[in-house]
Amino acid sequence: MKVYLKAISLHFKSAIEYRASFVTAFLSQIVVFFSYYFVILSLFNKFDNIKGFTLYEVLLCFAVIHFGYSFCEVFARGIDRFDKLIINGDFDRLLLRPKNVLLQVLCSDFDPIKLARFIQSLIVLVVALLNLNIEWTILKVLCLLFMLISSIVIFFSIFVISACYCFITIQGLEIRNLLMDGGKYMAQYPIGIFKKGFVIFFTVIIPYGLVNYYPLLYFTGKSNNILYMLAPIFVFLYLIPSIWLFNKGMKKYSSTGS
Amino acid sequence: MKFYLSYFKLRFISGLQYRFAAITGVATQFFFGIVIIMVYLAFYESGDANTPMSLTELISYLWLNQIFYSLLTLEYKDREIIEMIKKGDLAYELARPKNIYFMWYFKILGQRLSMVFLRSIPFIAIILFLPAPYRLSLPASIIHFILFIITISIGIFLMTSIVAMYNVITLKTMDEKGITNIFAAVADLFSGGFVPTPFFPNFLQTIGNFLPFKYVCDLPFRIYSGNVTIQDGLFGIIIQIIWTIILVSLGYILTKKLLKRVVVQGG
Repeated sequence: MKVYLKAISLHFKSAIEYRASFVTAFLSQIVVFFSYYFVILSLFNKFDNIKGFTLYEVLLCFAVIHFGYSFCEVFARGIDRFDKLIINGDFDRLLLRPKNVLLQVLCSDFDPIKLARFIQSLIVLVVALLNLNIEWTILKVLCLLFMLISSIVIFFSIFVISACYCFITIQGLEIRNLLMDGGKYMAQYPIGIFKKGFVIFFTVIIPYGLVNYYPLLYFTGKSNNILYMLAPIFVFLYLIPSIWLFNKGMKKYSSTGS
Repeated sequence: MKFYLSYFKLRFISGLQYRFAAITGVATQFFFGIVIIMVYLAFYESGDANTPMSLTELISYLWLNQIFYSLLTLEYKDREIIEMIKKGDLAYELARPKNIYFMWYFKILGQRLSMVFLRSIPFIAIILFLPAPYRLSLPASIIHFILFIITISIGIFLMTSIVAMYNVITLKTMDEKGITNIFAAVADLFSGGFVPTPFFPNFLQTIGNFLPFKYVCDLPFRIYSGNVTIQDGLFGIIIQIIWTIILVSLGYILTKKLLKRVVVQGG
């Protein structure tokens, strides 16, 4: 942890060296991110609900997903851009050092500019919470925390799994992106509004639904099923195969660089 | 002119090389198309207070958006020209006795057209035969279709002049991540790439009317689906042409001006 924090602060310092560039890039991220929830805002301008979900419920869903995703984009960027490490052959360098490899990959990159997205998704989250009439109980506070943490966990696991894919081949990364970005796009909305097949796929195979849909039902009082509140915890199980795969892939890895 | 055309051809052919990217591109567009339509369907099924577009119009619009995405998107993607500026390869380009703005212009045009050429034909064949609500409908009428062909052709030139403008801005600021990106994001938003412009809040619709961006793809798509009357469509075409002329001349003049005091980077 100490090593990681040290590495992050170094990356951060190097980023803010070019101040003007940092500020404009930061601003541009705010604008880009705005266009994501602009869709939701303008559609709710014409309609008052989507399959029974109101604007702020959808925004909560949206904020939870982007909270986790942007968190990983900022702090786990090394894994997100793992293909670059492999293509450059820089990964070999990491293997030589007597530290945990995954940790080193995490330390290898950090993107403070994407903090713009992280902060904005927090703002959307707060706005949504203030406008929803929630009868707060301890269980609901826990539920919200579970949602936020599991959102980070799921994207972290997906990043690690797609990094494993790079051990085998660096071709066809677009398909990987399709599953990740496509699923992420859907998970911005309560996943129950989609057709059955999609719901099952994104509950069982890539469990976005467990992150924000089922707990949302409990959180907003649409359901009293305690299992829904605990759903995000199952997402943690996703970490096990992903880290196992990473270690296995690493053993099989043969270098590409020069 | 012949020179620029061969430049265009070169880009077009090298773009055709990326067949695998084209296949995955089609898969991505298909998936996103379906998902986006499902979102709108869910909204439409939850009660139709005051929808500015009928469902068939909307679905045609959304599919066209996917088909022509790689052609007409105002997102900022082409890093090649930026790298050229930053690394100093710009000097080679300047050494050529040709106008650099038009070289950029035809490069972008060639790249974009080759992308859509590969992707769109199989894609259209699939989506025309999808089951009921998801299908791409035929154009509203034969006149709408002819107008659509005209507007989208002009739209391609308008798109190119906007994207070429990103290069001009980068030439000025030397920083592609910031201002150019903001400009591109705003352009993309107003072009209707995220939401069809009729769904915009009123004040944004008004602002959008004074900007060139919605004439790139929003106008052609709405003409195809019949959301715009023929009269309004013709009027839109005139505005499209005016904007294209303004932007090309502006880009040409600014490039000339900026190049006079350009400092070649790199060594």
